[in-house]
Amino acid sequence: MIPIEAVIGFGLIIFTIGLAGVLVRKNLVIMLMSLELLLNGVNIILAGLGRHLNSPRGSIFALFVIINAVSEAAVGFALVLAYFRHRKSYDTDSLNDLKG
Amino acid sequence: MITLAVFIFFAVLAVVAALLVVVQKNAMHSVLYLAFTVLATAGVFFALQAEYLGAIQILVYGGGIVVLYIFVIIIVNLKEIVPERRGLVPKLFLVGVPVLLCAEVVTLVMRTGFPSAPSGPEGSGFREMAEMLFASYLLPFEAASILLLAVLIGAIVVARRRHIDDPD
Repeated sequence: MIPIEAVIGFGLIIFTIGLAGVLVRKNLVIMLMSLELLLNGVNIILAGLGRHLNSPRGSIFALFVIINAVSEAAVGFALVLAYFRHRKSYDTDSLNDLKG
Repeated sequence: MITLAVFIFFAVLAVVAALLVVVQKNAMHSVLYLAFTVLATAGVFFALQAEYLGAIQILVYGGGIVVLYIFVIIIVNLKEIVPERRGLVPKLFLVGVPVLLCAEVVTLVMRTGFPSAPSGPEGSGFREMAEMLFASYLLPFEAASILLLAVLIGAIVVARRRHIDDPD
């Protein structure tokens, strides 16, 4: 039997790594990858809680999170491609057109 | 006992690979480590007896999203390595905030203690999940299909070229 605290701690570590990656990195593609890590951490915690509470809701919510992750990846890639076609760069520092 | 060993094995693999995703300079290496993380997470799901999630994880993430990342990196030819111009202190600050957040949640969970839930009557197998998904959660399920349709159309509209004969 896996202790629920271990599962939550593991999910939180993955979440933390992903959040740090989104904040620190400046490469758009790697930022999108870190977003996937964030959602993965949430999925791990949901699966662990579903197991702990002996309920299928954990898996169901994680399924919806995966659907949202796929949608986010698709739209994110479309934006990256459009931005690259427009600017020929992925650096987030040049994304300051709307800066006041 | 063996389940716990499997869980710890895949958890350590996933954490190490996730760290490597974030620190790589080359985006293609990051994608490969992301695939590694995803597969290790699928192993964790199997250890947690969420077999459906593990299978979906391998199919959707390992088969779909990672391949999509690789194609995008090839298309946009991500050879140039974006220099990290941040200094050490802002970087440490940006790493410290998530770590503090993690420590806070861990402290909360540890201090309050997790209630040992009574084993519910539902069970967490395939059958219970399918019955609940297509009975109680039918409306969100259908809404998810509408979301996917909207994403499909939106991604095509955003990523297409304005004119066919436009050279750029």
